[in-house]
Amino acid sequence: MNPVIGYAAIAAVALASALIGFYGLRVSRTTSDFYVASRTVRPWWNASAIGGEYLSAASFLGIAGLILLQGSGGLWFPIGYTAGYLMLLLFVAAPLRRSGAYTIPDFTEARLESTWARRVTSTLVIVVGWFYIVPQLQGAALTVRITTGLPSWVGSVAVAVLVAVIVAAGGMRSITFVQAFQFWLKLTALAVPVVALLLIVGGGEPPAQLTPAEAFPPAAGPADLDVYRTVSLMVALLLGTLGLPHVLVRFYTNPDGVAARRTTVIVLALLSVFYLFPTAFGLLGRAFAPDLAASGEADALILLLPGRLVPGIWGELLTALVIAGAFGAFLSTSSGLVVSLAGVISQDLLGGSVRGFRIAAVVSSLIPLVVALSTESTGLAGSVGLVFAFTASTLCPMLILGIWWRGLTARGAIAGMLTGALLSGGAILGGPLLAAAVPVLRPFLEQPAAWTVPLAVLVTVLVSRADHRGIPRGADAFLTRLHVPERRVH
Amino acid sequence: MTESSSGRADAAGPPPRVRVTAPRPGGGGASARPLPQHGGAPTSDIAGVYARSLIRSQLRLAIVFAIGFAVATALFVLAIALVPALDSSFVFGVPASWLLLGVGVYPLALTVAGLYVRAASRNEARYRSLTEAE
Repeated sequence: MNPVIGYAAIAAVALASALIGFYGLRVSRTTSDFYVASRTVRPWWNASAIGGEYLSAASFLGIAGLILLQGSGGLWFPIGYTAGYLMLLLFVAAPLRRSGAYTIPDFTEARLESTWARRVTSTLVIVVGWFYIVPQLQGAALTVRITTGLPSWVGSVAVAVLVAVIVAAGGMRSITFVQAFQFWLKLTALAVPVVALLLIVGGGEPPAQLTPAEAFPPAAGPADLDVYRTVSLMVALLLGTLGLPHVLVRFYTNPDGVAARRTTVIVLALLSVFYLFPTAFGLLGRAFAPDLAASGEADALILLLPGRLVPGIWGELLTALVIAGAFGAFLSTSSGLVVSLAGVISQDLLGGSVRGFRIAAVVSSLIPLVVALSTESTGLAGSVGLVFAFTASTLCPMLILGIWWRGLTARGAIAGMLTGALLSGGAILGGPLLAAAVPVLRPFLEQPAAWTVPLAVLVTVLVSRADHRGIPRGADAFLTRLHVPERRVH
Repeated sequence: MTESSSGRADAAGPPPRVRVTAPRPGGGGASARPLPQHGGAPTSDIAGVYARSLIRSQLRLAIVFAIGFAVATALFVLAIALVPALDSSFVFGVPASWLLLGVGVYPLALTVAGLYVRAASRNEARYRSLTEAE
C-alpha cells in the first residue's frame, strides 16, 4: 500500500478534528460549557454525536473482521450494538435525563444518598472507560502499521496525544461538534467504498476468490447457532450499552426527557443505517479476501479491500477515505470516553474546576496508552464485547434498579456492583487459564454476561431487601422526579 | 447541582441556554435540590398515588416492549434456521439467510422503539391530565 495515502488521510482527519475542537473553544468558557454544553444541543446534533462517539474501532473495523473470521456469528455484534439503544430507550433515557445527574456517579449519589456508593461507581466507570479506550488505541496501531508501515506504537501514541489535547482544550461543547462531524465522516467513509465496490464487483471484475457456496457455507450460517454464546453476547451488548459512561453523559445535554427519548430513537435509526456497511464489507471480504482470515489480519479487511479490488488512483482514493474514517472512529470514541472520565475524575478528586478537568483529561488519555502499548490486540470486536459484559454486570443492574425500584439501598447497590465486577472481571482475566484446565467451562468464561448479570441483580436485590432500613429517605421523591414529565410551557 | 430552568425548549428556535454547574462532591447531592414545583411534585397523598401509578405503568410498558423485542427476534432467527432453502438460495451471491439476519433485526428494533415512544408519551399525557385537572 502507498504510505503517502495513509499519511495524508490521517493528517487530514487529525487536523479537521482539532480545528473543529478549537472553533468550539471560542464559545466554551464557563464550567457549565465545559461539562455539558449548556444544554443547548438539539436531538439531531445530539444523536449524531452519540453515534459518532459510539461507533468505535470495534464497529468500524472489528465487525467486518469478525464476519470474515466467524461468518454469520459476527452479524450478531452490530445487532447487539444497535439494540442496546432500544434497551436504553425503554429503561433509562428519559428518567436519567430527568434525574439531573451529569455522570453515573452523580446519579448513584443522588439516588442512594451515599458517598461510598458513589466511590464504587466512580471506580467502575473509570475502569470501564480505560479498558474501552485500549482497543481504540490498538485499532489505531493496526491502522497506522498497515497503511504507513510505521511501527504500531506510533498510532496509539498519536491518538492518545491528539485526544488529550482536543479534550483538554475544548471540553464537551466542542466535542459535540467534533463527534457529530465524526459520525457523518464514518458513515461516508464506509458507504462510498461499499457502493463503489459493489458496482465494480457486480461487473464481474475482479473475479471472487471463492464461489458463493464456498464463501458462505451453511456451517458458518445463521442456522448453525451456538445458542448459549449468542444469548450471552446479546445480554452483554444490550445491557452493556446502558452503562457506558460516554453515552450516558450525552443524555444530560438534552433539554428534557421527551427530547432524550427522541434522541435515542434517532440514534437507533442512524446506527441501523451505519451497520449495513461494515456488514457488507464483511460479506464482500468472505468472497474476495478470504486469505486475510488465515493470515490473522481480519481486522484490516476494511483498510485493504478497496485497494485490492479497485485498481489505480480510484482504489487509492477509496483507501484514503476508509483510513480517514477509521482514524475518525478511534479519535471520536476515545475523546468521548476521555471527556466523561475527566468529568468523573475531576469532580471526585479535583474539585470540579476547569483546570481539574484538563488535568484529568490528560491522565485519562495516558493510562490506557500504557496498557495498550504493553498488551497485544486479540480481535477488536471481541475485546470491546468483553467491556460490554463487564459494564452489563456492574453498572447496568444498579442503574435499572435505581431508576425503577424504590427498595434499592446503598449497601445492596455496592454489593451487587462488586459481585458483578468480581465475577465478570474474574471470568475475563482468569478465564483463559481456567478454560485450559476445565474445557467444559470455556463458553461460560468467554461469554460471561448470561450468568454474571443475573447474579449481580440477585445479590443487589437480596442485600437491599435485608437492608430495608437503608432505603434512602428521599427515594420516593427522587423516583417521582425521574418519571414525572416536565412542565410544558403554556 | 443548581439549575435555573427558566424556560423549556419551545417548538421553534434554539432551546434557551441553561446554566448548569457541576455538583460538589459531598454537598448533599441532587436530593438536596428542590423538587420541581409543578405538575408532579408529591405535594399531597393523591399526587403520590398518581406518581406511583405512572411509574408502575411505565415499567410495565418497558418490560412488555423488551420481552416483545426479544421474543420477536428469537422467532425471526428460528424461522431463518428452520428453512434450509434460505441457505441455498443466493441473492447477489450471498445466501438469503445471511442477508435476512444481517438486515432484518434493525427494522424490528426501530418499530418497537417508535411504538414505545408513543405509548410512553401517552402514559405521561394521562398523568398530566389527571394532575392538572385537580
